[in-house]
Amino acid sequence: MTFHDQQGAAGGGAGGYGGQTVPGQPGGAAQAAAATAKPRTSLSVALDQSRYRLMVTAAVVTTVFAAIGVKLAFATMFAGGGEPRQHVALELDNTTTNRGDILDRNGNLLATSLVTQSLYADPKLVSRPEEAAEKLVGALPELDYKDVLAKLTSERRFVWLKRSLTPKQQASVHRLGIPGVAFEQEERRFYPAGNLTSHVVGFTGIDNNGLAGMEQGFNKRLTEDPAEPVQLSIDLRLQHVLRKELAATVQEFSAIGAAGIIFDVRNGEVLSMVSLPDFDPQDPTGLDPDTLFNRASLGVYEMGSTFKIFNSALAFDSGKIRVSDSFDAAHPIKVGRFTINDLHNMHRALTVAEVFQHSSNLGSVRMVQQVGVAAQKAFMTKMGFTKRTGLELPEDGWPLVPNPWREINSYTISFGHGISVSPMHTVTAAAAIVNGGFLHTPTLLKRKPGEEIPTEQVVSRQTSDMMRRMFRFVVTEGTGKSAEVKGYVVGGKTGTADKQKGRHYQKNSRMSSFLGAFPMQDPRYIVYVLIDEPKGTAKTYGYATGGWVAAPAVGRIVKQIGPLLNVPTVDENAPEILSATYLNAAGSTNWQQSLPPVTAPPPSKGSTVASFPTQTKPR
Amino acid sequence: MKGKTWLFWGGLIAAAGGVLFQTSYDVQDLEEKLAGLNRKIIQEQETIQILKAEWSYLNDPSKLEQMAHAYLDLQPTEARQFNLALEMIPMRPSDAVPPPALPGPVPLPPMVRAPGAGPQLAAARMPAPAAPIPASGIVPVNAPMPKALPMDKAMERAPVVVPASLPVAARIKPSALVPGAARAPSEKATADKAAPDRAAGKLPANAPTSPNRPTELASRPTPVAAPAPAPAKAGNAQQPHQPAPTDSLGLLVARLGANR
Repeated sequence: MTFHDQQGAAGGGAGGYGGQTVPGQPGGAAQAAAATAKPRTSLSVALDQSRYRLMVTAAVVTTVFAAIGVKLAFATMFAGGGEPRQHVALELDNTTTNRGDILDRNGNLLATSLVTQSLYADPKLVSRPEEAAEKLVGALPELDYKDVLAKLTSERRFVWLKRSLTPKQQASVHRLGIPGVAFEQEERRFYPAGNLTSHVVGFTGIDNNGLAGMEQGFNKRLTEDPAEPVQLSIDLRLQHVLRKELAATVQEFSAIGAAGIIFDVRNGEVLSMVSLPDFDPQDPTGLDPDTLFNRASLGVYEMGSTFKIFNSALAFDSGKIRVSDSFDAAHPIKVGRFTINDLHNMHRALTVAEVFQHSSNLGSVRMVQQVGVAAQKAFMTKMGFTKRTGLELPEDGWPLVPNPWREINSYTISFGHGISVSPMHTVTAAAAIVNGGFLHTPTLLKRKPGEEIPTEQVVSRQTSDMMRRMFRFVVTEGTGKSAEVKGYVVGGKTGTADKQKGRHYQKNSRMSSFLGAFPMQDPRYIVYVLIDEPKGTAKTYGYATGGWVAAPAVGRIVKQIGPLLNVPTVDENAPEILSATYLNAAGSTNWQQSLPPVTAPPPSKGSTVASFPTQTKPR
Repeated sequence: MKGKTWLFWGGLIAAAGGVLFQTSYDVQDLEEKLAGLNRKIIQEQETIQILKAEWSYLNDPSKLEQMAHAYLDLQPTEARQFNLALEMIPMRPSDAVPPPALPGPVPLPPMVRAPGAGPQLAAARMPAPAAPIPASGIVPVNAPMPKALPMDKAMERAPVVVPASLPVAARIKPSALVPGAARAPSEKATADKAAPDRAAGKLPANAPTSPNRPTELASRPTPVAAPAPAPAKAGNAQQPHQPAPTDSLGLLVARLGANR
């Protein structure tokens, strides 16, 4: 017992006490007392020690278990049962795809995602690659044996064999039962409208990233919120009409391309935008890269006579020129080594109305001479010709603007050369000219009712009113007669620009265009058609100018889209229409003068000339 | 005593365990069912997506135009037609033509009369002697139903009766519009008289559900195509020439696959 205790004491941490007592107590009584005291002491010490140890151990164990218990309670009772349940009812209105749909303004599908199966292999798991490759090529004849074999013997752990199988192909591969070959669910973009909207909607790559058009411009939005479709301002029906007529015109005049835009002048919505040649968005890479080029918004061109719209608006808005003022259009203008002349020189002085009617370059130059270079530059900047249009497409062209803007530039710009802008620029600016002077940023997204439209007043209401009359005058008596459609009071301006190849203008390659608006008494839509390098035909007596090529196309388009757009038909010769649209060559807006005398002459209204600052100028 | 307590608690534990297991299996079953339903829902959604795409694909304006050219005599609307139509629509004959023999709702245009189908429907649904009801006869459709029909037969017939009454009521034919407004009333009167006759004569053919069904079905896509009314019209015409659903699906899939 003692020995044991001593051993225990010696063995314990307090061994020094025992060692001290044994040699240090020689007396017998003291010995006996010590003998009785010693084992008790060491025993109690040992007991104390072990109790402490036990308590420490217990405390540690309790703490740990308590911690585990608390954690367990938290994990099971308060944290929603740990890992989430596998089976949750689906949200029904959700979509199964990871990329949103694109709709037209009436809700027709333009782009959607369909779920397909793709075939892949893990080469490590394919035991006999030759046999497997043979079988696969047997089931999918379009695969190449060598290619498949190379893939199956490669060192990688994942190779695509074929993307987007049809259900039938999937079944046949499934039946082969090759180990290491499996299917992966994928999405594939599908474009029900095909070529019709190819340049607007664009296309995606094999991994469903937008690579062009709205697919690229709205890539983030489409992937972030796939349940909510993107609704465009495009109307599929108008798109069809526009494309059909453009294609017919391109074919008739053996042109190399065309662009067309239908534009709502009231809110800046692009109702239709076509560029020919176009491509199949399902397979955009297989074709000529030229087809991917969007002439309507990315291509910048010298617009030619269509720019006289802006030259005339500038002249009116400056307040220095009235519609009845005359300008010399007989004598060519020489600037340095250039000579500016007219296609059909009238050999006389022309009023502003006639300059617009006959599309006279000389008259336009004389007008801008009077207005000045700085005013022209400021005006063109205000019309948005020096920056991008702000359309949502990534294909949004930068205009080519002369720098510095010299006098000679101002002369050529007055009739549409020396500045290159996209058709979208032209249409947006022209919309501001006819709609009362409000420039709207063009958009391809359908505007929500009540949404605020970004607007900027660029020309005065009076200028806009006079420009409407000028537009109408070109169609009733000018170069754009073939754009006339009975019932829809069409107005517009032709344009024919020689194309620049290298450093020279080509004689026989030109861009013929027509910018039409209707109905002119209260313009609602602009129809723009641009034909690239049309060749004259026997029917047009060899002419391939805007009036012969593009104006009839615009006429045909207006005729078909008028009913679709709910534009009420009117009688062009009704007094209220004439008073809003009449203009004659002398620059008078008083339509009653030209008619046989009426019994009771109504008050002469609509004579907006009076509202222009009257001033006498040297003629 | 002690044994009984043990037995009691043991039994209780066993019962609780049994119930727990049962519940657990039930939950498992339900979860499997839910997973199955979810799978089905996804499948259906995918199918719906495919069908939507197919619908748009088949509604391609260029295709519809081709079809319209091939199978219809219709031309695109022109501006002059709007002006003409406004002048040619006769004023509604209000007092000039007293409603001939038939009670109230007759002179109303066909669409307005559609609510009138209410009583008629109810009549058709009445299995018991429906014969005396022709008195309610806004529509003579009830006439060939004198025999007491079994309930199910009557029910079956009821939905068919309504569309059948519509063509009968469609009296405003283009030919009736062409003559001036002056002649219109007399024309209308004869048309009114002729209509019931024709209807009565026609109805036996219409009464069996089958001949009427196709038109009913054919008209069904129209509401779906509400966003694009004009193409939808042509869509109706295109219906007979549409390939079987499986075929067109195959067509779509082929298009998807062909472009790979």
